[in-house]
Parts: sequence; structure tokens; C-alpha cells
Amino acid sequence: MEAQIAINTPDPGPVSPPNNIISAKNLTKIFNTETVVDHISFEIPNSIIFGFVGPSGSGKTTTIRLLTGLYTPTEGTVTMFGKNPAKFKQNERSRFGYMPQLFVLYPNLTVWENLNFAASLYGMSFVRGKRLKNALNFVELYDHRHELARNISGGMQRRLSLAATLVHNPILLFLDEPTAGIDPILRQKFWEHFRELKQQGTTIFITTQYVSEADNCDLVGVQSNGKLLIVDTPRGLRHHTYGGDMVDLHAIESITYQEEANLRSLPFVLPRTIRTGENSVRIIVDQASTAVPALVEWAQQQNIKVKSLEEYLPSFDDVFVELVRREVKDE
Amino acid sequence: MSRIFRSFIRASSFLTKEFYEVLRQPRLIVSLVLGPFLILFLFGIGYRDQNRVLRTIFVIPKNAVISAQDIQKYSETIKSLIQIEGVTDNKNSALDQLRQGTIDMVIEEPEAAFSIIKNNHQAVFNVYHNEIDPVQIDYIDYLGWLYVGAVNQQVLQAFTSQGQKDAAKLHQDLRDAHANIAAAKKAIQTGDNATGQQKQQELTGNLDSISLLAGGTLGLLDSYQATDGGDTGSGDHVQTTLSDINQNTNVINNPATSPEDRLTRLDKIDKDLSDLDTKLGVVQNISPAVLVSPFSSLTRSVANYQPSLLSFFVPAVLALLLQHVAITFAALSIVRERNVGTVELFKISPISATEVLFGKYLSYMLFGGIIAAALALLMHFILHLPMWGNWWYFTLTVAVILFTSLGYGFVISIISQTDSQAVQYSMIFLLASVFFSGFIMGLEKLIGPVRIVSWMLPTTYGTILLRNIALRGLIPDWILLGGLAAIGVFLLFIAWLLMRRLIGSSAWSK
Repeated sequence: MEAQIAINTPDPGPVSPPNNIISAKNLTKIFNTETVVDHISFEIPNSIIFGFVGPSGSGKTTTIRLLTGLYTPTEGTVTMFGKNPAKFKQNERSRFGYMPQLFVLYPNLTVWENLNFAASLYGMSFVRGKRLKNALNFVELYDHRHELARNISGGMQRRLSLAATLVHNPILLFLDEPTAGIDPILRQKFWEHFRELKQQGTTIFITTQYVSEADNCDLVGVQSNGKLLIVDTPRGLRHHTYGGDMVDLHAIESITYQEEANLRSLPFVLPRTIRTGENSVRIIVDQASTAVPALVEWAQQQNIKVKSLEEYLPSFDDVFVELVRREVKDE
Repeated sequence: MSRIFRSFIRASSFLTKEFYEVLRQPRLIVSLVLGPFLILFLFGIGYRDQNRVLRTIFVIPKNAVISAQDIQKYSETIKSLIQIEGVTDNKNSALDQLRQGTIDMVIEEPEAAFSIIKNNHQAVFNVYHNEIDPVQIDYIDYLGWLYVGAVNQQVLQAFTSQGQKDAAKLHQDLRDAHANIAAAKKAIQTGDNATGQQKQQELTGNLDSISLLAGGTLGLLDSYQATDGGDTGSGDHVQTTLSDINQNTNVINNPATSPEDRLTRLDKIDKDLSDLDTKLGVVQNISPAVLVSPFSSLTRSVANYQPSLLSFFVPAVLALLLQHVAITFAALSIVRERNVGTVELFKISPISATEVLFGKYLSYMLFGGIIAAALALLMHFILHLPMWGNWWYFTLTVAVILFTSLGYGFVISIISQTDSQAVQYSMIFLLASVFFSGFIMGLEKLIGPVRIVSWMLPTTYGTILLRNIALRGLIPDWILLGGLAAIGVFLLFIAWLLMRRLIGSSAWSK
């Protein structure tokens, strides 16, 4: 299924195609008779955080494995740096890093030894102490470098995995649910790390089942039942899901049904409002930035005393539920 | 940085990783080195080079030919192997005790043995036991055989002793015969035909008696002479001599025989009787025990060293242990990495199948080498395993055993889906090695096709090679060592193919 890419004018759109670091066309993976990834297509530009959002079992990990060349697609093609990743030469493999969903390093080695092992897998010079130290400092594990991996917390194991993925300075990172099962404070820290990496020019492909984390991404792909429902910016995602921006109008007195009908007849307002209370109504508009002043003016004309008028940003959980509901309805 | 150097760095990742992982398991190292050493040490100090002593009851029927006293006397020859718990005529009671385990063996004397023998049959001693172990059953068979041999020997000794007593009468007959010959010759020479005839008749009587006694007593000597193929130094065989005497006697008793011929024949008979007398002297000087068992054996080895049972087993234990450690460690290494997901890191990273295998072979060879060195030194200096050969050849053989065993281990590891499967396959190799490698029983006891299994096992080669080097001081049999190395190379190739497949299709381009 071709994802709908809706790019709204206020947001800078994805970088132009020549800068795309990953390109997937009609990518499909079928295990026995089960279609796990269903004809998905998308492109990922350089130096962005691409969030791949979806519930557990939606096909995110399979997609990441297809992109990294771990799996061969049943159908479709994938290119990374303009080449099929399954055909990469040894030196080309050093250009990207992959952090699996689970901790796959060695529990009987210390933090430092595990990182050292990961570094040597990439053929990094024996004089690599500084690089290891930097990687551990980046994930704030340097002080724990002598501890055995089996003795550190789950969150620390995740950070160690991240350090092992970063240690060879890849320009593209695949992170498979790095924030799953960890506390919100640590999750926030992870996102700070990712943003820092992005600032340094690294492209990050990250999967997450926390829909709310989509806000941290530059581009978000929403996957459900193997299908890619949409790829857009976080703001564009909301806009696309509800057909426009949402504005909440709170009046001092009650809003009559006639006034609500008048509201729906305004040219910049979509013919759909949501009653959120006796004195309040949620309005869907083309652009919240231009609609708010126009609505203030309209309220004055209608002698409606406005208590507040502000843009409403629905949670990504709501956005996701709406998208999936619509997908089910379409089917 | 050169491509080869990068490749070396990638392979070396396993060297340090395995080193640290093993180092973090001190109990494992202790169990791998000290465990087998302590087992051998305990075996060395606890093993008694003595046969099992079987508690035995003799069942003697009431009408037995051999008395209870004799039965006990006969068992003297195997007294170190049996302990007589009693003599009874109640067979059922003895068998009950056997079933209850209070005794180990019941030997039943045959009833009416003489009548059986007279009917040209062997009288059978029944030997009862309650064993299920085939080795113990063989041992009891052997003891029964020994016991009956001892009984037969005692019976023969009694016969022989009686024969020697009879020899005194034979000696007297011989003296009488010589006297009668002298008297007969004198009578013939003087023409006294009547006396001559009388002495000849007396001589004939003497000779009949001699013929009867000498046939039994001196015949035994004749048999040894025939067996030996040599000579007693006293003339012809007894039967030939007796036949000559008989023939000459017939001639002299013939009235038509001339006096000259008679004299000649009497001289010949006289000489033959002297020969018999000489032989009789020989027989009388030999004890009955030697006469019935004239031969014994003495085993001598041309090998330069006769190892103790412990020393003999130490090289085999070392080979078996190294094979088991190498197969088990290698078998678990990759299957664990695959189950945990670490293999995905290998697939993604630039490391190739060759580098992974090289790194793992190198690390486990070093690890196995350290264990082998520690064990060999402990066994040499504490258990006194001799080293008649060259330590370098010993080291080379150990290296090839490890190399080939690791090949098996890595192949197992790649084809196994779980740790349990890998361990199970390793245990099958261990079990096969115990039965087919010559560790317990020699390869010659296996039929040809089954020996194929033996020659697939590193322990088979290791046992032969290490024993020959350490205990015989030989250089390695290069064909055996080469064969083992060839299996190792073949397994390396298989492991490499499987590893390439495991690391993924992308790995073909690595």
C-alpha cells in the first residue's frame, strides 16, 4: 500500500529525493501464509529522525530487518545509500548501526568489555579507548564501565546497546524500540541523545510502540497490521487525520445550536464541530494560525463573549486510534 | 589500516571475549582441570590390583567320589580367588544363599563321577552364580575352569604318583631280566640247553611284566619327548624299544634259532633293557606335579615400559576429556549467540563467517590448550604419568585433537536450535567415545563397519597417539595424525559453509 504523504505548508517538508538515505518500494514480507509487511513504500531523507509507530505485532521489527538486509523481501525493493543492503561489502556495513529490541550482548562481560567487543566487530583500531570512553559518556555509563552487564539495570543495558550501536560512528542508525519498557525519565533522556545525534548529522530510523513519542520525530510512519497507513510530519499527521487543525472555543455563556450552525457555515471552518461542553465547542479549520483571529472577529459580531480561543493539539494516541479506526472502516 | 589487519581485529574480538567469559567462571575452570585430575588421583590411590574373591559353598553329594576334604584341598590352587564359606550336601540351601546374596558362587561336585567317566563321558562340575554383569560372568566361568583344571591336575598327580610307586617293581623286574639274560647267555655259550631254556622262560616272564609296567610309567616320558621333538638322551621311544624287545624275545624262543643268533638277540634285549632302566631313572627323578603339568608360561614384554593401569588410562582420559570439553564449549557458543540474538549483530556488522570461525577456533584452541597443559603437568608430576616420547609431539597431537573436536562442536552448534539440543549432541559424542574409541575395550572387538564410528571420533586417534608417545616413546603415527587433521579440515569447511548460511545471504558478499 502506498502511504499518503501529506505535507502542510507551515512545516518544512522532507528533504528532496536525491538526499534520501533509505528508499523502500512495495516492500512485502510473507512468513508462510502470513503477510507481516504489506506492500509498504517510503523514503527517508538524510539527517532526520524517522519514527516508525505502531502497536506490538504491527510489523515494525520485520520492516527494520528488511531495511538492514537481515531479511530478504518477499516482494519489493529496498535501498540504503542507493544500494541493496543485502549486497553491501564489508566497509559499507560500517556505515550504519543496528540496535535490536532485546539486549543481545554478553551478560558475563563488563560494560567496557562488551563495548570493546562491539568495536572490534567493526575492525576499529586497537587504540580505541577514547572512542569507547566517548560512547559511554554519551549514554552516561562511563562510571559503570567495570560492572558486569548482567548486574546493571534494564535501562542501563539499553544504553549499553545504544553505545555499542554508536561506537563505530555510523551515519545511519536503526533503533528497534529502544524506549520500550523503560521509565519516562529515561525515555526522555534517550530522546535527548537521539536529537543530539541528529544534530551531529546522523539519520535515525526508530521504531516505537509509544505513539506519543511521534512528537519527537521529524517524520512519522504509522504502521498497523503490516500496512503503512501514513508518513508525515507530526503536525501533518494530526492535520491529515482530522482533515485540518482543531481550535477550542470556550464562551462565558452557553453557545446555542444556531450559533454553532453559523460557525460551521464560515468558509475557513470545516462543516464539522464537536460539542465539548455547554459553553464550549471544538472546531476544525484549515489553518489554526489564520483561523483564530478570524474566529475572534466572528464572535464579536455574534455578541459571543469568548473566555478562550486556542488551538487544540490532540494526543498522538488519539491520532493513532483515529487512523486505525478509519483504516478498519475503509476495509 | 590494511584490510588484513582489520580482519584480524574483527577475529580477535572473540579471543578477548571468550577469555573474559571463561575467566569469569572460575568454578568451571576448576572443575575442568581439577575434576578429572581428582578422579584419576582417587582411582590411582583407590584401585586394588586384585581379583575379586568369591564367597563359595561346595555342594558334595553323599555318594561323592571326591571327599569334602579333598575338595577343599583342590581349591588351594585358587585360594586367592575364592573364600570357602562351607561344604554341604544340601544343594537347595546353597542356592538359596546364592539368591539372597550371602554367597557369590556354588560349586557342585558331580554325582557318581566314576560311572560317568567309565561310560566315556566327562563328569561335570556345576558352577552356579547370581550375576548379571557379563564381565563377572566371564570371570566366574574362568574360575570354574581354573577349579576343574585344579581338580583334574590333582587326580592326575595321584595317578602319576601311583605310577612312580609302581616303578620300583619295574626296577626289580629289570634287574631280574638282566640277570636272566646273563645266565641264559652263559648257558648257551656252555651248551647247557636246559638251563638256557629255563632262563629264557624266566626272562620272557620278566619282559611281559616290564612291558606292562613300562608302557604306563615310561609312556608319559615318551609323550613329552614327542611333544618336544627332541630326545631324552637315552635311545629310542619307549614303545619302539618294547616292540624290539618283544620281537627279539619271540626269536630267541623259537627252537629253530641258532645259538649265535640267540646270543646276538639276548645282547640286543640287554641293551634295550638298559635304555629302559635309564629312562626309568629319569621318570623317578621327576615330581608328579611336574609330570602332570610339565609346561608353564612366563610373560615378558619387549616394550621399554610397563605402565600401571592408571598410567595406561591417563592418555585416554586426557583425549576423551579434551574432545568433550572442545565439543561442548564449541557446541554451546554459537547456538547461544543465535538464541540471544547476538548473531544479528554479526550479520549487520562487517565481520565475515571466516573471521567469526577463525576467532572462535583460536580462542577455544588456546583455552583447550591451557586446560590440556594444566592436566598433563598435573598428571605427569603428581600421578607420575611417564613421558617416554617428545613433549612437542604430545602438544601437536593435543592441538589436532582440539582442532577436530572443535569442528564437530561448531557444526553441532550451528545445526542445533537450542542449548539442550547442543548439549544432547555433545553427550552422544561422549557416549560414543566411551564405547567405540577403545577407551574401555579394544577396537578389535568391534566388527569392521562399526569401526567406522570409531575412526570418526577424535578420542580414538588421541588415545592411540598419546599412549604411543607417552608410554612407548614413539613418534606420532603420521597417517593417524594426518587422518585426524583431515577430518578436522573437512569439519572446518562444513562449519564455514553453515556459518556463511547462518550469517545470512548478505554474508555471501562479505
